[in-house]
Amino acid sequence: MATGTDQVVGLGLVAVSLIIFTYYTAWVILLPFIDSQHVIHKYFLPRAYAVAIPLVAGLLLLLCVGESPRPWAGCRVGVGVMTLSHP
Amino acid sequence: MTKLAQWLWALALLGSAWAALTTGALGLELPSSCREVLWPLPAYLLVSAGCYALGTVGYRVATFHDCEDAARELQSQIQEARADLSRRGMRF
Repeated sequence: MATGTDQVVGLGLVAVSLIIFTYYTAWVILLPFIDSQHVIHKYFLPRAYAVAIPLVAGLLLLLCVGESPRPWAGCRVGVGVMTLSHP
Repeated sequence: MTKLAQWLWALALLGSAWAALTTGALGLELPSSCREVLWPLPAYLLVSAGCYALGTVGYRVATFHDCEDAARELQSQIQEARADLSRRGMRF
């Protein structure tokens, strides 16, 4: 097992990805099937933001990958794809 | 057929199916909740793929096998080598 900060950072990433995934799944998949008077709708933005926010975030990500000559720690999206295909 | 061609084929097929369903070109009367789920689907799939990539990277970082004893041994060997070489006159 990894030690110290490696473990903390790794588990932190796993937690962040799970949180984002469950919130986004609830927003896109579950909310349309819940009665519009239910209180849970208060915790979610209007539906248009479900596409707008990832789009803007993706564009920002592409911009910072394009700007730096070397990919830096925050923009290592490609590494995740590599670990998928080379276990 | 190359992998790229396969991917592009699959994307074109799924993309056209999604476009046909969202624009109502097939003349199907889908319930409004289904339409609400359907139109953000490409964004949803991209975000889920990104979350999966991020989670996999984090998991592999957290479970990577460190060899602390070997690391310490290597460091002491490096110190030994540096001392030995500088005694023989090599300047770092």
